[in-house]
Amino acid sequence: MFRNILDKGRRLAGLGSLVAALTVAAPAMAQDKETIVFGGSIPLSGVFAFAGIHIHAGLTDYTAWINSEGGINGHPVEYVMEDTAYEVDRSVAAFKKISGSESPATYYGDSTGFMKTIASELNSQGDTLMSGASFATALTDNEQYPYQFIPGPNYSQMFGIILEYIASQGESGDMPTVAFVYSDTEFGKDPIENGKARAAELGIEVVEDIVTKPGSVDVSAEILKLRRVRPDYVVFHGYVLSPINEFMVQMRQMGLDTEFMGTFWSSDKLIIDKMGADADGYMGVMPYNYYDSEESGPMLDALRAQAEKSDPDAGYRPTGYMQAWFNAMVWTEVIKRTLDADKELTADNMAEALASIEDWDTGGIIGIPVTVRDMSFPVGRIWRVNAEEGRYEPVSDWIHLD
Amino acid sequence: MDWMFFGEISLAGLAMGGLYSLIALGFVIIYKATRVINFAIGEIMMFAAYLFLAFAGGMEMSAWIALPLAVAGGSILGGVIEKTMIRPMLGESPISVVMVTIGIASILVGLVEFIWTADPQLLPSFLPREPVFIGELYLAPKIAYGFLIGAALLIVYLLYFRFSRGGVALRATASDQAAAYSMGINVRRVFSMAWVFGSLAASLAGVLVAATGGLSPQFGIIGLSVLVVVIVGGLDSILGALIAGVFIGWLETVAGAYFGGEYRMPATFLVLAVILVIRPYGLFGTHEIERV
Repeated sequence: MFRNILDKGRRLAGLGSLVAALTVAAPAMAQDKETIVFGGSIPLSGVFAFAGIHIHAGLTDYTAWINSEGGINGHPVEYVMEDTAYEVDRSVAAFKKISGSESPATYYGDSTGFMKTIASELNSQGDTLMSGASFATALTDNEQYPYQFIPGPNYSQMFGIILEYIASQGESGDMPTVAFVYSDTEFGKDPIENGKARAAELGIEVVEDIVTKPGSVDVSAEILKLRRVRPDYVVFHGYVLSPINEFMVQMRQMGLDTEFMGTFWSSDKLIIDKMGADADGYMGVMPYNYYDSEESGPMLDALRAQAEKSDPDAGYRPTGYMQAWFNAMVWTEVIKRTLDADKELTADNMAEALASIEDWDTGGIIGIPVTVRDMSFPVGRIWRVNAEEGRYEPVSDWIHLD
Repeated sequence: MDWMFFGEISLAGLAMGGLYSLIALGFVIIYKATRVINFAIGEIMMFAAYLFLAFAGGMEMSAWIALPLAVAGGSILGGVIEKTMIRPMLGESPISVVMVTIGIASILVGLVEFIWTADPQLLPSFLPREPVFIGELYLAPKIAYGFLIGAALLIVYLLYFRFSRGGVALRATASDQAAAYSMGINVRRVFSMAWVFGSLAASLAGVLVAATGGLSPQFGIIGLSVLVVVIVGGLDSILGALIAGVFIGWLETVAGAYFGGEYRMPATFLVLAVILVIRPYGLFGTHEIERV
């Protein structure tokens, strides 16, 4: 416990040094060009804090790195955030405060709820491009959310990638069966209907769909239902850890040889760390290379070097960190393209720059060049837990949906 | 109808209901003796579960040593809360006391986030993993063994309250504080005892529930959902807590299995609404008559 507190102290001290360094460096760089602000409603506390602290670290580290590279076209970058406790009203208040005082060009939203709530204000302001923690399918509706994008595939597209993988394991006329297990939340329900439609197109039978309470304490009844239909695959969505572990352990205790898969927020290393050997064989769809994967590339190497530099004791960086870094990379690319075209940093111009991204090399963060489709990056890869090695290993090629 | 499936579902629901009863008992003991509705009961459960994680996970103690230590830690926490924060509130309005318990809940959440971080956790596995069959009916081992441990404590409590001097003092204080005081019962000590015993029940339930469903700083929400059980059974009825806990556990599971997980809560709240209309003081609660 005391070591934990000491580690925290050291990390806070490291963070403090970083903030101090930025405070000193930013004015010197800003003598030439105006500072570009990345804003953020970040859940450093509350139910999403486990990811929020890594999202914050990712954005902080990226900002330090891009400034060390000379900023964006010579503009220094500043990252300004407020803790939201993952509450929509606090996220909205943080946005109003930061957009009122700092005029951020881009902004990190901490939830689908916040990003939907703030859409009309974002649209009327017209000077900020937003992305964030959400991969909600609804946010890829360009009519309603023209200034918001998804930093990867949306949840429906993640299901599409998972189902393509499952289809590749079967043969026409003898396709594996699948069950969907999801939480009773907007997040959980997001891809289910589209997932069923895609499964039907691929000839995959969805033999059961099970909805559970978020943070469900007991899922025995749901597992008994699955025992009766014996799916070849169970796809989880809307969870971070529990009750995935219970489904896997109990279904294996029943002698079922079902395979288990999950979407982005259900595919962090947390599952391996907490479940240990029970996590072996679990598969997840991930649009980015894992921090500890064997992949490399100039940007992935820069990320690892910056992470090591900012907190040498942190070790592995979770998917929230990778996601935040990729968000900031996209913001940088969009701002750069807008500035290169001699245009103002308005939301319209940045959205246009975003839509122009085609076959973009992300320097190893994503393993293949990516193209923006409907304000999202519909690409991902299936990774499988090797519990003995304590990490995910790729079991599919990169899948880019059209 | 698949009766085998119904039997298995019912068994799982009844076993889970047993754990609900244990949490509800924690509520009821404290309310019965002190008239305080303890909104921090879920967070006391959570704290004990984190203590178990620290002892069995961090310090790698045997789970069977870590379990009593964690439960004792949770009980001591209850006693400390009573002595330092609730007792000074004696005589204040019930709303103020309730607000204090809500404040305590927030402090405990902050404390565990500070010590153990906000990451979701799984407790080290300590219950047997072999499937349990009752006849041909399957029961998840964690639920089955969790129920047995919880039921053992329930029996100890019932015997204690029925036959021991402490139990009699607690029941006497619950029925008439002034009379108990005049008969030489140390009412303040009874208050402390109620918080310690209530927290003990909640702490054991906390470890058993967390062993099944995982642990996070938001775990305490479960304590609030058991409020339904307590209101249905009657806030001051131990028997009510036991019966309502088992019934609500069964109902929730059956509703979830046949209608979908989204109907678990509506089913229990429907029962709550009906009970509140028919018997506002709960199935077994005391019907207090105020004479004006």
